Amino acid sequence: MCGIAGRILASPGRVGNDLVELMDAQEHRGADSTGFAIYGTPRDEGYVLRGMGFDKTGLDADMERFRDILREHGSDYLEEPVFVTDDNPHYCVRMVISDPRDIAAWIRDADTLTDRFEVQSCGRSLEIVKDIGGAVAVADKHGVRDMVGTHGLGHARLATESSVLPNASHPFWARPFSDVAIVHNGQITDYYSWRERLERKGYRFLTQNDSELIAVWVSDQISQGLTMAQALQKSIPSIDGVFTYMIARPEGIGFAKDRFAMKPLVVIEQAGELAAATEEQAVRRVFSDECDVINYDGPSLTGIWTVGNRRMAA
Amino acid sequence: MSARVVEAGQRHIREINDELQKAAAEGQEVVVTNTLSRHNLGIGLPKGAHVRFEGSVGYYCAGLNDGAVIEVERNAGWGLAEGMASGHVTVGGYAGMSAGAAMTGGTIHVKGDSGPRCGVAMKGGNIIVEGKIGYQSGFMAHSGKIIALGGAGHSCADALWEGEVWVAGEVESLGVDVNVVEPTAEEVAEVDSILEPLGLVDSSRNWRKMISGQRLWYFESRDANAWLMI
Repeated sequence: MCGIAGRILASPGRVGNDLVELMDAQEHRGADSTGFAIYGTPRDEGYVLRGMGFDKTGLDADMERFRDILREHGSDYLEEPVFVTDDNPHYCVRMVISDPRDIAAWIRDADTLTDRFEVQSCGRSLEIVKDIGGAVAVADKHGVRDMVGTHGLGHARLATESSVLPNASHPFWARPFSDVAIVHNGQITDYYSWRERLERKGYRFLTQNDSELIAVWVSDQISQGLTMAQALQKSIPSIDGVFTYMIARPEGIGFAKDRFAMKPLVVIEQAGELAAATEEQAVRRVFSDECDVINYDGPSLTGIWTVGNRRMAA
Repeated sequence: MSARVVEAGQRHIREINDELQKAAAEGQEVVVTNTLSRHNLGIGLPKGAHVRFEGSVGYYCAGLNDGAVIEVERNAGWGLAEGMASGHVTVGGYAGMSAGAAMTGGTIHVKGDSGPRCGVAMKGGNIIVEGKIGYQSGFMAHSGKIIALGGAGHSCADALWEGEVWVAGEVESLGVDVNVVEPTAEEVAEVDSILEPLGLVDSSRNWRKMISGQRLWYFESRDANAWLMI
């Protein structure tokens, strides 16, 4: 089933807190894992990284090797890694690094470590936090309510296509495109064939999750010259399956829905701010007064909401 | 006797519905306030119950309705009055995806538009939508009538079984295996008799009545392409 959410503020604020509310209201749609993608104030230089290691007893060795690879690419820590652990074997980490010479080349080398450590987001402003458990548990563990930014995404996962693993949670980063994240509600049925095609072009996928495909697929189309609006529209006849997905970039959030209109999307826009979710009762957590709700119930719909909520032509 | 007020808020849905059942048993009208688009409000209410929801409701409002009169002031989410056996449900605004899904009787009256697949698999009763019915409305309806006064979205009456879809206004496109037929005066009079209590009769309407083409009732290999379109 899964539940997704998007939030745009008129000016930087507690977007993390709002996304926790949006996801807590939809926890019944999937409590296997919860994740958040939050766009903070963009840095002029350096990238914020969020990552996950699968065995905390190997943390020091993982970080030593990870830093060696960073240095080989002309980068190093700007802010030391900060770790979050609990009773689970995995650990989560946040750090800020100086600009590698080439992000794609660096992440290709960093991905040689993915059997024990993986980078889950990289951006001037994007930070992806994800873990197993419900919205409040994940938020409390990672301090999501205090994360400040302009916009972001949320996801509650009911695993249908692949295992419940902390790194198989949404949102997914569009590896290696910095500052691009996606959440998806549905199932992609032809993802193996699309993944093979994209892998032949050099893209890497780290999980067996079908949704990981969409972020890379859309970003690849944009890298070939399509606008985001064109890429969203092209995804509908190109990708087979059931989907409502939202893709976020620094300038805003786009969405697309499949040809059979199988998954909901409900939006409230008010005074330059926006909340989008799978269920209306979730957006009402953010806008509790009775107000106009836009139901994107039809088939083959796309749209883009820009930060500051000026709607771009989709 | 003035209506009893039940506040929804963030209370457990079972607690709210228990109070609605209790009021129904006592013959008391109810107004539900602060609905916050909550799901599963007013499920399985019996004949004699009269409930009005202020604001908007979430999924499955009035589901399994068993004779109650239910009003929603503004919008309803997905699956309005799903599986309704009898009763009368009115929505002041928009009704989301699959309104009246698998209903077997009773009446749904939507004053705004409806979402996609309105009346999906319905097996009886009537759905009246003053606005436009969404994509693929009437999908696999077995019986009953969907009456749209403001047009229909794409793939209208797709794979209809034995129900009828009546549309005044533009139909964006027809679904698979649909016959558009000229209604007889008696049939129009029957539809008008459904609209009459709602004050919606207008003799100037140019009706399109959609029924099953019956090609999908039995599989024949020459119809394989039609099946593949579903």
